[in-house]
Amino acid sequence: MDLSAQLALTVLMGVFLAAVAMALSRLEDWRTYTPLTSGGGVAGGESGYITREKPLGLTRWLTTVDHKDIGILYGIFAVISFAWGGLAVLLIRTELMTPAMDVLEGLGGEAFYNGLMTSHGITMLFLFGTPVIASLSNYFIPLLIGADDMAFPRINAIAFWLLPPAALLIWAGFFLDPMTGGAIESAQTSWTMYAPLSIMQTNPGVDLFLLGLHLSGVSATLGAINFLVTIFSERNEEVNWANLDIFSWTILTQSALILFAFPLLGSAILMLLLDRNFATTFFTVEGGSPILWQHLFWFFGHPEVYILVLPPMGVISLIIPKFSGRKLFGFKFVVYSTLAIGVLSFGVWAHHMFTTGIDPRIRLSFMAVSLAIAIPSAVKTFNWITTMWNGDIRLTAPMLFCVGFVSNFIIGGVTGVFLSSIPVDQLLHDTYYVVGHFHYIVMGAIAFAGFAAMYYWYPIVSGRMYQKTLARWHFWTWMIGSNITFFAMLLLGYDGMPRRYATYGDQGAPFSVLIQNLHIIASVGAFIMAIGTIIWLYNFVVSWYEGPAAGPDPWDLREYGMESREFEWHADRLETALTDGGSDDQSDD
Amino acid sequence: MDAQPGLDDQYRRSSSWPLFVALGLVISELGVLFGVIPISVGGLVLFIGAIAAAVSEAGYTDRPWRLLAGLGGLLVGVGVLIAVTQASALAPAAVIGVFAKGFAQPPNGVVVRGISIIVAGIAGIVLALVGPQLATTPR
Ligand code: HEM
Ligand SMILES: [Cu+2]
Repeated sequence: MDLSAQLALTVLMGVFLAAVAMALSRLEDWRTYTPLTSGGGVAGGESGYITREKPLGLTRWLTTVDHKDIGILYGIFAVISFAWGGLAVLLIRTELMTPAMDVLEGLGGEAFYNGLMTSHGITMLFLFGTPVIASLSNYFIPLLIGADDMAFPRINAIAFWLLPPAALLIWAGFFLDPMTGGAIESAQTSWTMYAPLSIMQTNPGVDLFLLGLHLSGVSATLGAINFLVTIFSERNEEVNWANLDIFSWTILTQSALILFAFPLLGSAILMLLLDRNFATTFFTVEGGSPILWQHLFWFFGHPEVYILVLPPMGVISLIIPKFSGRKLFGFKFVVYSTLAIGVLSFGVWAHHMFTTGIDPRIRLSFMAVSLAIAIPSAVKTFNWITTMWNGDIRLTAPMLFCVGFVSNFIIGGVTGVFLSSIPVDQLLHDTYYVVGHFHYIVMGAIAFAGFAAMYYWYPIVSGRMYQKTLARWHFWTWMIGSNITFFAMLLLGYDGMPRRYATYGDQGAPFSVLIQNLHIIASVGAFIMAIGTIIWLYNFVVSWYEGPAAGPDPWDLREYGMESREFEWHADRLETALTDGGSDDQSDD
Repeated sequence: MDAQPGLDDQYRRSSSWPLFVALGLVISELGVLFGVIPISVGGLVLFIGAIAAAVSEAGYTDRPWRLLAGLGGLLVGVGVLIAVTQASALAPAAVIGVFAKGFAQPPNGVVVRGISIIVAGIAGIVLALVGPQLATTPR
């Protein structure tokens, strides 16, 4: 870089830092021109002076360390990411309705397709999946365990604020491509970033992408440490290990998995960056070998899928009893199976590498553990079904999504067991069968659970009730759409359609009328789900402003003897709001 | 950067610092990876400054300055380590030669990055030294 550019950047950086300093001094100086009676200003109420908890407007959201606000921020961020990842995949599915490259031709053809697919995968896993879970856990874990807030509220805010820049970096290639005339492109490494491809793509868009991913990993790790400490040390005296709720158990296990898995991904990404920019040879063919990348990646990657699925399983275990009028069947075993999955999930990673030519004896042991991990998953499924069995079932929207979860999870799980059998995997590896398998779980189960939780807790967060008919439309479009799309993918896989191809009928991807029809069917399902998503968004936004007040016990939990801490908290809050004539952490504004 | 009671004290559930810790980390990672000295220095200073402020605001330390100096020292150490990896021998002359070579033609990218981290560390230490003076003068 030449001197004048350096100088310009230095000036720019100086101006930026000065602006930061000014913004900070204004924020930190507020107290000098607003009256403040009590010296420390904490714990209002007793002195008759009600301390405001937060400043107003945008500043509130930029500076908040309240777990509930941060939960809402995570939620909004997750929805934006979901929209990005969703739009990417709608383009992909449109392209795949015909064998040739046509729809995306004008936008960059195969390269653009590859960029979309990479962005879809990474966005959905790291920028939607993990944050949507963090949104639920931030808001509700402290309420469920009777804590005041998270153990480290500031670290909580730092973890959130790392995400928006991480997302911008991950998506940067798409914005910078037109701006730099193609000098910086979107990353086309696929979410697995396999070497040597990811080293050979010299495009700086990949570096930005990797940095963004690294930052999102830092964010997840900070969040996990916070949840571990919070659940261990911030519980109310009444909450002990024996009566800790199931969602907290799964978040606890998830956090432990994050703590072991994410730093490893972070280090592997740094090594990849070094290979790309500093000519190291960790993952090159002459050096540490591309297989090393696969081992490191999947040692992280398989636990990651359980990081994503355990809290949703917790949500399901929490909600199903409420609408079945019965306690969770075999609560202890659900907890034990959660812990078992947590441990076993570190012992199965090489089932992603059965076709790489690794030692057959190693493969065999990974096959055995992979089959074994299906057992605790089946224990849970059994417990959910027995909880509903003979229960007093109320098919509210959250319950519908829970039932949908169980159904989809069974198909996703069974196809997973098939894939963990080496001979089957040798046929089906890298086909649409694998895509169908994990979408039954990530979309059919994880996203379903996310929406179950959002409907279930919507009255607490917004103070209002959503429109129930629209919620039912959302459920049925999703239930039907996801099964159309992902079952078609399983069939595509049996028919030999390889994954990640922009076109078929050439370059090794077979063409037949059946294959094209299955692709069309899969696309139709995707559009049905898109419609459902729009219905959901409309419903949540409109109900936020106009929905009927939800009241203290929107699900009649008391009537069914299903009281739980977070709804008790909600009822308390409504009561104090009435007697005080309004408290400022009411969020139904 | 002021250790006097601030936003945190008036609003129990607000803090000005987390946003800037995050921004600082993002900017410094970008700066160091792409080897752009002004960006890495600015980002790292923002990063350690905001950390020190947040830690003292949270009450783990009384005043942020000692911590800031410590973090600055840490950066200097890390930067030196990175730069010195390029020295074949640890003789003083060789080490100085390495630092000079950083900006020779063509520049040694690793050394440049090491130096940018050292500069950021020194800037942090300087800030920690002048900070208390600035903070005590009434505005
Ligand atoms: C019941 C237990 C499960 C078993 C035995 C299982 C087994 C497998 C196997 C063997 C593969 C490799 C297929 C191949 O690439 O040839 C695979 C892929 C995958 N599974 Fe599962 N799975 C299970 C549950 C899950 C869950 C719960 C999730 C998600 C939360 C998940 C997500 C994935 C993903 C994302 C991939 C594809 C990774 C890729 O190549 O991009 N699986 N699974
Ligand atoms: Cu796996």
